[in-house]
Amino acid sequence: MTYQKKDLPSKISKIGIILLIVGIALGVLAFFVDHSRAVFNYLIAFNYMISIGVGALFLIALEYVVGADWSVPIRRVVEFFAAIVPLLAILVIPLLFNMQELFHWSHTDVVMEDAVLQSKAPYLNVPFFIIRVFVIIGIWTLFYFFFTRNSKKQDTTKNQKLTTLNIRLSAVFIPVFAITISLSAIDWLMSVEPHWFSTIFGVYFFAGSVITALAAVTLTTVLLKENGYLHPSMTDDHLYSLGALLFAFVNFWGYIAFSQFMLIWYADLPEETFWFIQKWEGSWAIFSIGLIIIQFLVPYIALVSQPSKMNPKTLKFISVWLLFAHLFDLFWLVMPEMEQMSGGYYFSWIDLTFPIAIVGILMLVFNMKAKNENLIPIGDPKLQRGLDFHL
Amino acid sequence: MSTDYSVEAPVVAGRLSLAEIEELVARPLDTKPDKKFFIALSVSLTALLIGATCLLYTFYYGIGMWGNNQPVGWGFGIVNFVFWVGIGHAGTLISAILFLLRQRWRTGIARFAEAMTIFAVMCAGIFPIIHTGRPWLAGYLTPYPNQHGLWVNFTSPLVWDVFAVSVYFTVSLVFWYTGLIPDFATLRDRTKSKIKKTIYSIFSLGWRHSSRHWLHYEKAYVILAGFATPLVLSVHTIVSFDFAVSILPGWHTTIFPPYFVAGAIFSGFAMVVTVLVFVRKIFDLQNIITIDHLEKMNKVILATGMMVGYSYGMEFFIAWYSGNPVEQFVFINRAFGPYAWAYWTMVSCNVLIPQFFWFKKIRRSVPVMMVIVILVNVGMWFERFVIIVTSLHRDFLPSSWGMFVPTLYDLGILLGSFGLFFTLVILFTKALPVVSISEIKAVADGAQPDHHGGNHNG
Amino acid sequence: MADKKIFGIVSLFKDPNAIISAAKKVASAGFTNWDVNSPYPLHGIDKAMKIKPSKLGIVTLIFGLSGVVLALLLMWWTMSVDYPMVIGGKPYFSLPAFIPVTFEITVILATVSTVVAMFAFFFGLPRNAHALHDTDYMKKVSLDHYGIVIEAIDPKFDEKSTMDLLNNLSPLTTEIIYYPEKETYPIFEPRFLALLFGVAVAVSLGTYLMLNKLMYIQPFNWMDKQAKITVQSRSDFFNDGRGMRLPVEGTVARGFIPYPFEDQKNPTEVLSNPSFPTIENLELGKSKFLTYCSPCHGNFGDGDSRLQGQFPNPPTLHSDRARSFPDGMIYHIITVGQNAMPSYASQVNREERWAIVNYIRALQRAKNAQDSDIKFVKAE
Repeated sequence: MTYQKKDLPSKISKIGIILLIVGIALGVLAFFVDHSRAVFNYLIAFNYMISIGVGALFLIALEYVVGADWSVPIRRVVEFFAAIVPLLAILVIPLLFNMQELFHWSHTDVVMEDAVLQSKAPYLNVPFFIIRVFVIIGIWTLFYFFFTRNSKKQDTTKNQKLTTLNIRLSAVFIPVFAITISLSAIDWLMSVEPHWFSTIFGVYFFAGSVITALAAVTLTTVLLKENGYLHPSMTDDHLYSLGALLFAFVNFWGYIAFSQFMLIWYADLPEETFWFIQKWEGSWAIFSIGLIIIQFLVPYIALVSQPSKMNPKTLKFISVWLLFAHLFDLFWLVMPEMEQMSGGYYFSWIDLTFPIAIVGILMLVFNMKAKNENLIPIGDPKLQRGLDFHL
Repeated sequence: MSTDYSVEAPVVAGRLSLAEIEELVARPLDTKPDKKFFIALSVSLTALLIGATCLLYTFYYGIGMWGNNQPVGWGFGIVNFVFWVGIGHAGTLISAILFLLRQRWRTGIARFAEAMTIFAVMCAGIFPIIHTGRPWLAGYLTPYPNQHGLWVNFTSPLVWDVFAVSVYFTVSLVFWYTGLIPDFATLRDRTKSKIKKTIYSIFSLGWRHSSRHWLHYEKAYVILAGFATPLVLSVHTIVSFDFAVSILPGWHTTIFPPYFVAGAIFSGFAMVVTVLVFVRKIFDLQNIITIDHLEKMNKVILATGMMVGYSYGMEFFIAWYSGNPVEQFVFINRAFGPYAWAYWTMVSCNVLIPQFFWFKKIRRSVPVMMVIVILVNVGMWFERFVIIVTSLHRDFLPSSWGMFVPTLYDLGILLGSFGLFFTLVILFTKALPVVSISEIKAVADGAQPDHHGGNHNG
Repeated sequence: MADKKIFGIVSLFKDPNAIISAAKKVASAGFTNWDVNSPYPLHGIDKAMKIKPSKLGIVTLIFGLSGVVLALLLMWWTMSVDYPMVIGGKPYFSLPAFIPVTFEITVILATVSTVVAMFAFFFGLPRNAHALHDTDYMKKVSLDHYGIVIEAIDPKFDEKSTMDLLNNLSPLTTEIIYYPEKETYPIFEPRFLALLFGVAVAVSLGTYLMLNKLMYIQPFNWMDKQAKITVQSRSDFFNDGRGMRLPVEGTVARGFIPYPFEDQKNPTEVLSNPSFPTIENLELGKSKFLTYCSPCHGNFGDGDSRLQGQFPNPPTLHSDRARSFPDGMIYHIITVGQNAMPSYASQVNREERWAIVNYIRALQRAKNAQDSDIKFVKAE
């Protein structure tokens, strides 16, 4: 039984293009209808892309560093999702032109009146912010290119030294990733409310990102496997590992979210609690409870038993669920700070525009990569060990 | 020196047969202790006795014998508690978490690591009881109906500690004992001494190595590992809550839970490496506890050390970012105040020294790694000291500032805790098999049938 | 020799693949009371033996969920119903603060129940009297062999044909295992011990219930149930239901001695110094003076206090007027106060006040020393 490269059905790219165009068109319309809301939604969408792309990059590095076998046959799927990373430099540009809408600290008159914001000004100022954005995206893009270049080269040369090289790169990447993802989360998400701070925020975003990247990978892997695009000797045991990782990170998210909440609740310091109190105003309270249920309770119950972790139907369902949950999480993080929404959430079609575009971009990017590359790292020395993997 | 990634490295080196493995592991139990054993034991017992003496003085004269004062109400007592609890975590991580992650290299070291967990938790558990000054009232820490109609305060992290540490100790003991049952059975079946046979028979519960039993046993093992994993994370998280729920600058920060857990694993692995280096040499277990295993542990030490470093950096950055002058002062005081020597010891031992483990040669060199891991443990003890003492000795009101100076009794009790730990470890090596015989046999070469299994459902 | 009862037939193997195929054959032969023994779990043996997956997880689930419920119930009862206290301004039922203990109790119940259920109920252990113990088979299987045992109680068991079946699997050895002729001690039978335990529990429970609940005899209560009204308890004797009452008008504190000269300007006709200026008395006076009087009056009574004008400085105690005060006048001023000086009656008791008076007199004499005084000091 060997792997035969098949092209993905053309409807994938067709649907992708339609979704992308519709999403962008609606987004542009939204920009004129409700400027503020559109910009906030774009912020959420952009961070969603970071979660998937950089999260995928982390998963690649993790596999190399811990020497995992089972994930080798699906590493290409992960790499294709990481292909979003180079696009981030372009996707960020509309945000940079609308910073005033998002960030109080970007208004010099506001900062002049506020001693606390003045003390943060050496960090929270527009020029330094922009430099950070591009340096961080640049670093991620650089690692993306090196990882994938080595991986692709190995398909033809089968040179084991490329694995050694990627392992070393991964070991370096992980601490770099920790710092850059934290700073990115602080910059884009935490500074929306510049008076608030939490040392665990970077870890919180990391947890959510890894879940999202894993969910995207799991959904795609199950779909591809069911339709015969992956190596024929892959079994449900491989899926079990994905399910187990998803379960572990859902638990991890719950742990981090609980720590952040409980410590601030317990000490009851107004300079910290106001951020959570804002998320309890009006209908935001339902949102907050909803977040616990959607992002933790339901996935926990769905994935706790051993058989369900390898059940393709469960995995597909819970992956889609978790992909939505992260959007929900980002929404909950940022939207209550928007002026009009501070009293409570009210639905608007604008909230659907960019998610549509996201799905479109993901489908297009994945399809493009799948056309040009093997869906399996056929030259990887650990491929056979990975395929032989069993529980 | 290039690796061939297509071949999986064997867990047990030297192509040992099952009988050879059993012989190697069981030999210390069949032979009388030698002179080196007694010398080691006398050293640790001396340390233990010094600690016990200091403890007796403390019981008789009160906590005034220690250096605690106002404002530094928590001194060595709590530093040592957090230190030992942290060390205990490596054992559970190795036996439970690495098991769930299917890292087979854990097999040779899991039994020893779990034993270390239990001993470390025993050392840790002493401190909350003695530091209250009236340890004979420790029963009130548990919720039972009493004459006063009083209950414990379930919302206090100190009570959470009581539950967490006792549950952790119990579950670790149960997990360890469950793993020991097949080994007791094996020892029962190979021993020639009647007394030992009776003892082993009792403790083995009559285990017959039945496959029907192994089926449930393996499930129980997975369940235990699955619970022990969040348990171990929760224990040090709850310990971190002792500090983080307060409003004290330097203590109240949301990153404490994962930071403490990473630090615990960091110090725990360092202690495991320290002890294993000796054990594998003394008991000729180099083929079961190989340099590859030590190298992997050193990689974990490097990784968790960097997580600790990340936390230092994030705390510092957010302290500045918050604009809170009291918070900012705490960090400046840590680095440049009267305890700066402790702070820089901590930073160099925890952040800088482990960086040597980037180099493969150093990861695989036993003498160098010994130095590094001992320094890591020193650094982690100082981390707890820095966190506790510097945040307490200078908090909000300058008129309340003070200094903490440990007394001889503080130092004696710390020494005694090491004495207790190493005494238990040394006795353990002669009383029980330091490697899990049944588990290590299961991962030896040729031990399993050629497998064509896996769930083929499409 | 009596007829030895057959327990079963065993076969030993050395190769893991051989035992797997042997197990498959025995399973397909339709035996049910048989087993494979190995020193460690063999991969795939459960499939080969056609054993169903373990249901142990159900025990874990039940006890784990009970743990959640019990923990929350415990904390709700103790913290919100039985003895509610406002702690840190948090509500009586603070779910975020209850989570850690809930988690711990869940874990301990789930894990311990699983292990106990497995050993005691699924396996029936401890059981050291099994027929396979102390056999050569057991010793080999503990070390590095694998074995199959088919028990005689199996309906398909027949000494000859089962022996043949096993021999056809090419084992290393095959032998018949008999039940041991060992004595068993009935009192150590687990069932009997369980019965004893149950009886002990039932008797103690019964005794306690009868004595305590029916006859109201408590095990030792050391007088802790008394009919008196305790702090913060109700009393229906009073209209407002409160057990704690304010003192009746005219109530005085224990040890209270009234000072009858409150409004008199100069009570010295009746107030005279009962104390004698001994060294102890003067030391007492000095220490109290320095503590209570010196902040305003200065360390030596000059009125040059440390207050530096933040509070009006008193006139010096060495003025003629002050020196001419009788002792009683000074005592009176300390007791009731004068102008800006408040009463110090609550800070210094009567004895201390007289000691202060003596000390002031000593200060006054020192500031206006005569030659005769100096001679006296020099002579000492």
